[in-house]
Order: sequence, then C-alpha cells, then structure tokens
Amino acid sequence: MVVAQLALVANGYRDPHNYFAFQPFNESSTYAVELVRVLDDGQRVPVPNGRWEGYDWNELIDWGPLRSPWRQRHAFSGVDAVVDFLDHALDWMADNTPGDTETRYWEATVTYYRNARGPHVTVVRSHDRELGGP
Amino acid sequence: MTAAVSSASATSTWWDRSRRWLSEVFDEPASVRGTAVLRIVLGPCVIWHLRPFLADALDGITYHDRFQQPWWPWYPNAPEGLYVALLWIGVAAAVLMTVGWWSRIATGSAFAVVAYNLFLSQTHFHHNRAFLVILLAGVALCDNGRALSLDALRRPPPDDRALVWPIWLLRFEAAAVYFASGFSKLIDPDWVGGRVLHDRSVRYQSEVRDALGDTLADPVLEVVTARAFHWVLSPAAVATELFIAFGLWFRRTRLVAVWVAVAFHVGIEVTSHVQVFSVIGIGALALWAVPSTRDRTLVTPSRWVGWLDWMARFDITVAPGASWCMVDRDGTVLEGQQARQFVRTRLPATFLISRFWRYP
Repeated sequence: MVVAQLALVANGYRDPHNYFAFQPFNESSTYAVELVRVLDDGQRVPVPNGRWEGYDWNELIDWGPLRSPWRQRHAFSGVDAVVDFLDHALDWMADNTPGDTETRYWEATVTYYRNARGPHVTVVRSHDRELGGP
Repeated sequence: MTAAVSSASATSTWWDRSRRWLSEVFDEPASVRGTAVLRIVLGPCVIWHLRPFLADALDGITYHDRFQQPWWPWYPNAPEGLYVALLWIGVAAAVLMTVGWWSRIATGSAFAVVAYNLFLSQTHFHHNRAFLVILLAGVALCDNGRALSLDALRRPPPDDRALVWPIWLLRFEAAAVYFASGFSKLIDPDWVGGRVLHDRSVRYQSEVRDALGDTLADPVLEVVTARAFHWVLSPAAVATELFIAFGLWFRRTRLVAVWVAVAFHVGIEVTSHVQVFSVIGIGALALWAVPSTRDRTLVTPSRWVGWLDWMARFDITVAPGASWCMVDRDGTVLEGQQARQFVRTRLPATFLISRFWRYP
C-alpha cells in the first residue's frame, strides 16, 4: 500500500489527471472551445451554444468541468486534464447521438491560458462516425 | 576497537528500535478509539458524498445518461436499478457506521459502494473522494467497533484494544496527502511564486464582492488582489502543508500540527468548494492520538471532563470539592490551574482554544 501510494504520487507528475497523487488547485488556467461538426463532404458547421439537430451539449455531457465550454472556463484540475476529457467527450458524443446522420466527426479548437499565460491553441477531434443511414 | 564497539552498539540500538516499532505496529494491540472517532465522522460524509448521485437518481438520471469515461474496460457496469440500490445501501451502511452497529461490516460496505462509484467513471474522481475511499478502507481494516459504538454497548469488549497497523497505514496516507499537495506546489514556480493564487483571486473577485458587499469587499480585495500579497501567501500555504505532513509524526510538534491543520482546513472550506475534504481531513486528525487510553489519572470536581473526553485520555475520578490533580504518563504530577490547563489541551473540543483560555 505504501509503495503503491508513493508510486501514484510520483505518477502524478506524468498523468495529466494526477489521480491519487493529491495535487489539488494545481493551476489557475482557463480555456474556451470552438466546437464544429465536420460533415461527410468536409463542410465545417459551427455549433452555437452547443445545440444542433435537437441535441444539446450541456444535456448530453452533463458534467460541470465541461459545461458550456464555448465560454471562458476555469480548467478543472489543469488544462491537460480538461483537454484529455474533452477528447474523450467528443468520442462519447460521436457514439451517443444516433439522430445526427450528418456529422462525420467532431472537432474542438481549444484556446487556453495556462496560469494566465497565453493564448495557446490545441485541436482535438472525435473518431470518425459511420454514416450508413437506415 | 572502541570505534568498532560504538558502531556495533549504535547498529544494535537502531535495530532494537526498529524491531520495537515493528512489534508495536504489527503485534501489540492498542486502543482503536481514534478510528472509532473517524468512523463516526465518515458516516455523514459518505451520505453527503452520495447525495448528488442520489438526487440525480431520484430524477431518473444515472451515470448511464451522461458523459462517462471508464477507468478500465473490464470494470462491471451495474444496470440502472442495481446502481441506485447500491447507492441506498451505501447510505444505510453510513448510518450504521455512525451509530456503530455492525461497525466493521458497515464500514466495509460503505467503502465498497463509494469505491465502486468512484471507479465507474473518471469523471467521478475528485481528490476528496479518493481520500474518502482510502480512509474508509483503513477504518474497515481496523476493529473499529470496540469503542464508541452500539456494538460495544451490546457486547462490551474487555477493552478498546486491537491491532493498529491500519492506523499506521492511515497515518501514512493522511501525511502523504499533505506532502504530495505541498511538494507539488513547492516545485512549481507559478504556484510558490504566487501566480496561481493571484490569478484565481483576481478572477473570482466578483464572488468576494457578492459575498461581502461593496463596503467590506473593497478593502479586502485591495489586499487579496495585490500581487505582493501572494508572494507571501503562496509560500506560506506550501510551508503549512509541508509542516502538517511532517509535524504530525513527532510528539513535540504534533499538537501544533493538529492545530495548524484544523485552521488550514477551515481556511480552505471558507474560500473554496472542496466537498467533504475539510471534514474528513479534520476527522482524520483523530488518528494521531496516541493509541492508549485512561493512562493519565485525573481527580477533578467537574463532570464536564468526562463528557468531553472522547479519546479517553484520562482515568477520571470526580470528587466534588476536590482540587484538580493530574498524573501524566511519565509520573509528572500537575495540580490546580496547571492540571486544568493540561486537561484542556488534550480534549478534542477544547484543545483549539486552550492556548488562549487561561484562568487569571
């Protein structure tokens, strides 16, 4: 147990989420996301306020740290953790929006300030969806 | 020759001390009252922790209905009905923990539910929840129902002693939390240099204004949004965490470290939303009480000492009209005001103010 805990504390310097490494309030970073749907023909469609085709980002994701990410938000547990979660959230959304028959994949352009330094930009995207139709 | 003998003697002393310590940790039963106090504190914290999940469940929402990020692909996903039932089992276990009925089974069940819920999705992770899981595991490993429990009332054990290696494990974990937090900030120039806290203070100043009103907020914000203020506050915060992490281990600094830890947790609770962390952090301080009970004798005219002596620090004789007299573990005798003052420093409810509360 002691060795495992020490290993987890050490791992916290590598793991963006620092699980069981106890590094609370580690950053004062902020981020904002520009969310687009990329359709089969390559067209990029913005998603104003996270709403499209009867879906709502906030209702689907329903998790505080990723709520309304198009606004400037505090990066819960740090920028790296938020970007990693956002990446997974896009995949999750791609798998859980069967009524959307247009979107090939999701893309999020993340503009962030790490401890008030920036802006920095990074892009994450979901996996490709199958658009076979009924 | 003399040097060789001296070296051998030092090695022998070190070896003897280590063996004694290992024997104390793994073989010798000692009081588990500290874990009993922690069990009582953890019960309501488990309910408080499960409350948002239960509130969602009452609205028909579970983790199945929102973004989740599994920790491991093989981890079993409970169907919705079973998941909600597990949450309620966790609540029932927490109630039983607090009153000490089937204490160990209840603590183990609460641990199982809280841990299962935590590992359902990485989005369920918070540092305070991780600490809660660790504390529940440690308390469940200890025979914590031997004191301050309905179990002890129904079937009184011969004493409140059991093997205490889980207490040592929990002490390590508690100190590791303070150390890991403090050390990570110490080696981060943005943190120890005040940049992180300063930026947060500037960004959240509107919340301070909302809470205090303009008249009071203006002078407060003038201080807390000043860059220079954070050149002092941030290193002080780091030093505080590291002092607690190390100070709790040594008898000479332990009482001060406990006092600092309480102030630290209250400060965090006032300024941030940390869910159950403050309460379990303060509750875990009970683990640092020396695991022996009734090993100081006290003659007192007051009944209140008995009511407030939750950690059973004293073998108390109440004698109306008598003057205070206390015999410490090492045989030191304190009388009158000195005895009264010493007693206050050893009672959980009074030790925080005991330094400022003196008779003329």
